[in-house]
Amino acid sequence: MSVSVTCLRTFGRILVPFTLHRRRRNVYSTILQRYMASKIPTVSYPNKENTPPPEQLELDRWKTTMKSSMQEEGVSTVSNNKDEDAVAATRELIEMWRLLGKEVPEHITEEELKTIMECSSKSSKKKYLKFLYVKEKLKKAKQRKKEMKAVAKEEAKKAKLLETTEEDEQRNFLFLRLWDRNMNIAMGWKGAQAMQFGQPLVFDMAYDNYMNSKEMQNTVSQLLESEGWNRRNVDPFHIHFCNLKVDSAYHRELVKRYGEKWDKLLLTATEKSHVDLFPKDSIIYLTADSPNVMTTFKHDKIYVIGSFVDKNMQPGTSLAKAKRLNLATECLPLDKYLQWEIGTKNLTLDQMMRILLCLKNTGNWEEALKFVPRRKHTGYLEISQHSQELVNRLKKTKSFNSFPKVNAHRKCGLNEKI
Amino acid sequence: MLFCWSGIRSFPKLWKINPYLSLGPGHPSLFLLVDCGIRNQQRWFSLKTMSPQNTKATNLPIAKARYLRKGYGGSKKQVPSDSPHLFAAGAAKKRSQMNNPQSKDHALPPVRNTIQLPTKPLNSEEWDKLKEDFIGKANFEDLVSSRMAQCHSSVDVAKSLLAWVAAKNNGIVGYNLLVKYLHLCVVHKQTSEVIDVYEIMKARYKSLESGGYTLLIRGLIHSDRWKEALLLLEDIKKVMIPSKKNYGDCIEGALLHQDVTTAWNLYQELLGHDLIPMMETLKAFFDFGKDIKDDHYSNKLLDILLYLRSNRLYPGESFAHSIKTWFESIPGKQWKGQFTTIQESGRCSSCGKTIESIHLSPEEYEFLKGKIMRDVIDGGDQYKKTTPGELKRFENFVKSCPPFDIVIDGLNVAKMFPKARESQVLLDVVSQLAKQNLQLLVLGRKHMLTQRSRWRKDEMEKVQKQASCFFADDISEDDPFLLYATLNSGNHCKFITKDLMRDHKACLPDAKTQRLFFKWQQGHQLAIMSRSPGLTFERILRHDTVVQTTGDSWHVPYDEDRVERYSYEVPTKWLCLHRKT
Repeated sequence: MSVSVTCLRTFGRILVPFTLHRRRRNVYSTILQRYMASKIPTVSYPNKENTPPPEQLELDRWKTTMKSSMQEEGVSTVSNNKDEDAVAATRELIEMWRLLGKEVPEHITEEELKTIMECSSKSSKKKYLKFLYVKEKLKKAKQRKKEMKAVAKEEAKKAKLLETTEEDEQRNFLFLRLWDRNMNIAMGWKGAQAMQFGQPLVFDMAYDNYMNSKEMQNTVSQLLESEGWNRRNVDPFHIHFCNLKVDSAYHRELVKRYGEKWDKLLLTATEKSHVDLFPKDSIIYLTADSPNVMTTFKHDKIYVIGSFVDKNMQPGTSLAKAKRLNLATECLPLDKYLQWEIGTKNLTLDQMMRILLCLKNTGNWEEALKFVPRRKHTGYLEISQHSQELVNRLKKTKSFNSFPKVNAHRKCGLNEKI
Repeated sequence: MLFCWSGIRSFPKLWKINPYLSLGPGHPSLFLLVDCGIRNQQRWFSLKTMSPQNTKATNLPIAKARYLRKGYGGSKKQVPSDSPHLFAAGAAKKRSQMNNPQSKDHALPPVRNTIQLPTKPLNSEEWDKLKEDFIGKANFEDLVSSRMAQCHSSVDVAKSLLAWVAAKNNGIVGYNLLVKYLHLCVVHKQTSEVIDVYEIMKARYKSLESGGYTLLIRGLIHSDRWKEALLLLEDIKKVMIPSKKNYGDCIEGALLHQDVTTAWNLYQELLGHDLIPMMETLKAFFDFGKDIKDDHYSNKLLDILLYLRSNRLYPGESFAHSIKTWFESIPGKQWKGQFTTIQESGRCSSCGKTIESIHLSPEEYEFLKGKIMRDVIDGGDQYKKTTPGELKRFENFVKSCPPFDIVIDGLNVAKMFPKARESQVLLDVVSQLAKQNLQLLVLGRKHMLTQRSRWRKDEMEKVQKQASCFFADDISEDDPFLLYATLNSGNHCKFITKDLMRDHKACLPDAKTQRLFFKWQQGHQLAIMSRSPGLTFERILRHDTVVQTTGDSWHVPYDEDRVERYSYEVPTKWLCLHRKT
């Protein structure tokens, strides 16, 4: 393979100058003709202050082609409508940005264009365009993969046909291949059990006002994922969607994503608040801002998770909610078990769900905190070995919890690392 | 990889074990070892883009070495000769350098895949050869042209590249290459080339994008066809609001060609879009004003100064010079300008006039008080920073107490000296202030009252005897209470904390209120510098740092070129203008 390539390359090296020369000569002659024929006012080239080198003439020649090609471009139809004008201008702008190699999508729909025009600032426009660009790229890659797969499948099929034409033997099976369906049915049974006897787990849906549409979409994706993890577990929770107002943003998005399955989900969706459904003293609101650290998973408590993706930095929102209703709060003991590196201690909803499921089944923190993203921490703290350090650390965190100035906290983390 | 990190991590230890490293001669091997480690480290990372950790790691030995030299050189204490006030320009930088002398940003030059850029125009064969030698994923033409744009290669070299590309492509050059070429032309001020490219772009493309327009505008304003730059500005407006740079360029172009009306109209339009004009633009008006003897124009310039005042903007050094020259060029008025500083008493060192006081007017004061209560403490959700019960308790407490002279942020003060016991520090400060017969308020959190090794009960009781105290819940924030208690006590009341309160300033809804808050803060915040012997505070400002006039005098604070000013600091240098009578 490599041999052939080098071969080609040397070939090319010989060929290129010839072809180029010839082509250029052609080009120049056509250019000259065009140049004579065109009626554009010729721009006089002022002489450079430095004496023009002999190839100067050649250097400027490309300009004439560039200019003369105007004649071939179609003249744009001028629209009188101002709105339409703006739309067209935006479209052209995006096209020019694409020519410049900026991250903008190739194709754009009318609605997307409208969204862009509604963006208030240039940076928000660019941000949205980049989002569309990445989306388009992913879609294309997926499409390509799909095609490749189809081709491979086709070939495999052909090969198989060639190989096993006559020996189509009959074999004995115990089961028909209906695994997926059986799995679903089994999960449905378990879900029904959980609805009757399972431990409640509440998702608090009272955050619609704190999120923009993108965060809302992310939230619902995470809710879907959490529900999926719960469904597959040996001993699922009985999920409650509390404060879920019909026709709120949450509700619309959930119904859109689940489709007709929404009404058959084995969970409780209610407009009521969790304080109305359960006794107040058994509710524990989970929030990373809580001063209290969760030590063990209690099977008689009702844990509440706020379904809230916060990209706009509104710290303390969920803690404020719990404070208002006078509920107990807890946070995961991330600092106690993990050597935290970067990122917020807010975990995604599905991570929370998996951690809680694991705790519920095993009660082992190390096992459960496997679901914390690996990039956020450098490793587990060895508790037996550094027990002394742990005691000190606990003391420290305790005193710092009551004095949550970020500086102090960060400093403490640094000290320990060295 | 892992090995490498562990090696780096143990560096400080190495140095600590051998504190006499810089003195003792018998450790060449150790140096060698360190050196190897670093080089190794760099090799690891040269494959990737530079990560911040890497720079930290490689800088560490250098920094430590500097630290050691300093430490054993004798003078360890750095006492600033003339201490700037808390909000003086450059003060924060000085403070950070004092606190950790080893931290100094050494920006390593980023590693790029290098192409040797040609220095003179090449012909097609040479370009072909260069392209063949080039290994890399990126598009060769793109990469070369952007490198040229970065390094400001000569126009001719770029032109030869375009000629080569055009020859390959039927005489067509892509838009991106054209824009980069245009950039070079603009940088080298080759106006005729700019016009050529402008013609080409007009011919080939119906409309351009913002980057191309910006470059064209910038290039065209120097030519006779500068009016077309205004048309390009109109084209930008169709899609988005032009940037302040676009406006600035157009204004400069108009001024260059003596079209004052257009320049002012553009300036008005710029302000109308809520853009903050660039200082260069404003400077251009002043520079141009020297040759115009026209009352209307001078009034407009005075309007610019008032604009600077109301937005609390400060001109740069060269702009200050322009202002000075313009004032001095006004015929018949005999303005005299001088660069000066303001004395601590709030008098101008040059003319002796008193600068405006830092204190807010009564209306402003009431306004700010309301805003702090509504936006910082309450903020739409009382539970976020406190609880309604606590708020009520606090309001009753403030009402029942006489106005205070000094409000102390207990936790901030107590934690200031990490080696001393917290309650001890707090008691020291409180008792020293109490001796001066001041009415004190100490704000803190409830956990301060529980007996612990660092919070002694007896000392806290002494504190409570000498000052009124308010303890918030442990999960409430105490700073907002501090702000409100100070504001409620009146204009004479000051507060003690080293916290710069930027997060609370950010809670305020608009820039105007934030500026008001900052002005109040400058006049009322005391920051402790040292505890013994006797409390010393950072200097507090008496005068307001803002452009101001008394009719026959102007005082303009300005930023020096070499001083880095943070956003919460104010300049210390002034331009004093007064009329000779």
